[in-house]
Amino acid sequence: MIKIQKEDFNSDEEIHNIKKIHSNVGAVNSFIGYVRDNNNNENVQSINIEVYKDMAYRQLEKIINEANIKWKLIDCLIIHRYGKLKVNNKIVLVTCFSEHRKDSFESCNYIMDYLKKDAPFWKKEFYNNKSEWLSNSK
Amino acid sequence: MKIIYFAWIKDITNFPEELLDPNEIKNLDSLKKYIVSKYPDLKKHLDQEILRFAVNQEYIIENIDLKKNDEIAVFPPVSGG
Repeated sequence: MIKIQKEDFNSDEEIHNIKKIHSNVGAVNSFIGYVRDNNNNENVQSINIEVYKDMAYRQLEKIINEANIKWKLIDCLIIHRYGKLKVNNKIVLVTCFSEHRKDSFESCNYIMDYLKKDAPFWKKEFYNNKSEWLSNSK
Repeated sequence: MKIIYFAWIKDITNFPEELLDPNEIKNLDSLKKYIVSKYPDLKKHLDQEILRFAVNQEYIIENIDLKKNDEIAVFPPVSGG
C-alpha cells in the first residue's frame, strides 16, 4: 500500500491495520524518517516537501515490485508526506511484512535506498534567515 | 503536450507548467533546445546533467519522440525520504 499525503499518521495503527489481515506474517521491519533540527551546520526551522504525485505513486510501485522479486514479502507499506513539516514531524514510513526477519530487514533498506534515489519528492529547508533546496545526490 | 516544472526549476521558469505545440517539439532533444532558449538560466544545469526528464511519469534519458498528449516533467535531483 502506498500513501502520499499531507497529514500526519499513526505508525502503530498503520502497521497494525496491515498486520491484522496477514496471520502468516512473522517479521515486520519499519523505517521512519523525521525532520531533524540541524543540517549542513544550519538550524532547520521547518521544511517544505514538493511532490510529483502521479510519478511518485508509479515509481514507488516499481520499487515495491522490484523488492518483491528479490525477497519474499507478504505486504509492504509506504507513507510519504508532503507540504510544510516542522522539526520532529514524521516524513516517511516504510514497513515490510514477511514470514522471516531477513526478508523484511533487507527489503526495507532496499526500498528506502531507491525511494531516496528515484521517487520524485523535493525538500526545501527553511533556516533562520534563508532557505535551500536539497538534493539526495549531494 | 504539457510540460511541468518542479522544485527550483520552477523558480527559473516562473511557471509550474505550460502547453507546447507538438508540431514544433518533435522529440526530447528539441524540447531541451526549446527550454534553454526560453529559459537561458537552465542551460548550465542541462550542461551539467543536473536536469532530470520524465515522460508520462517515467524517467527518460535517451532522445525519444514526443506525442501530442505526452506529459513531460523537468526537475532537479530528488530529495525525498
